[in-house]
Amino acid sequence: MMERDVVVRLLLGLIMVVVAYAVIRILAPARTLLAGAALGAGALALVALNPGALASVEFWAGLVGFAAILSALMIVIHPNPMVSVLFLIVNLFCVALFYLFLNAQFLAAIQIIIYAGAIMVLFLFVVMLLNLKAEEGLTARGGPQRYGAIVLGGLFAGLLFDAILHRGPQPYFDPGTFASGFGTARELGGLLFTRYLFAFEAASLLLIAAMIGAVVLAKRRLR
Amino acid sequence: MMPPHYFLLVAALLFAIGCVGVLIRRNAIVILMCIELMLNAVNLTFAAFANESQSMTGHVFVFFVMTVAAAEAAVGLAIVIALFRRRRTTDVDDASLLRW
Repeated sequence: MMERDVVVRLLLGLIMVVVAYAVIRILAPARTLLAGAALGAGALALVALNPGALASVEFWAGLVGFAAILSALMIVIHPNPMVSVLFLIVNLFCVALFYLFLNAQFLAAIQIIIYAGAIMVLFLFVVMLLNLKAEEGLTARGGPQRYGAIVLGGLFAGLLFDAILHRGPQPYFDPGTFASGFGTARELGGLLFTRYLFAFEAASLLLIAAMIGAVVLAKRRLR
Repeated sequence: MMPPHYFLLVAALLFAIGCVGVLIRRNAIVILMCIELMLNAVNLTFAAFANESQSMTGHVFVFFVMTVAAAEAAVGLAIVIALFRRRRTTDVDDASLLRW
């Protein structure tokens, strides 16, 4: 298929441009402007050469997936917790976009409101409150455990990939046959307040317990 | 149309990255962030399967996972603050009182 080739070429090109940017940053850490200019020029040139790909869903889904994985890697490898928090926000936005691809509009909305809005503000607040510096780095200590963890993580990812690619025949899904309310707040609310009412009430108990626990734990002195 | 495997593969990769992050980082806040990353990957898998089977039950599960993630972040960060107040550190290797 012609269009698929264009999409794959553009995505691979963008990945190469980002890798080149990372190489420039590692080899010449002071030249941020040069690396940024190379990144922007490369991306613009690629898009100008393959204009057809911009109209396809596959391209955007691939781009969001690439951004999600890149930001997840940056969370893990960046020594500064502040930068990790900011990349986690990027990652959460990417997951929210994925929810839109999967017909889950309400989930996309609460992903941004609850995660990016509330939980990440809490994380940012704590990082700034404790005034954490980039103190550890990735080479500080724990050598053998680190390499073991990376190898085992790779094996684990391979296992998951194998399971996903070899699962049984999937039901064919046709976007045209979806119920009109799929993924809306109305449908989700209907389920929450009928079939899952007990779990919903239990969740409220969990939240109040977490709230009291957080207040008690963060108190300077109990009396 | 997107192949349904695509979302599952991205979610699996995100989960594995979060898993490695929990194991190799020593900063308690970054470990909590990696746990959030893993919970998000599982949520994405739930949403992908819900889309595939055209059943909203997966969305209900995502809702509850988000609730648990919010509770976990609040309590976890409170523990980090308490730890920092006592020990002036957020390194999990320095909080080894309960270790064997």
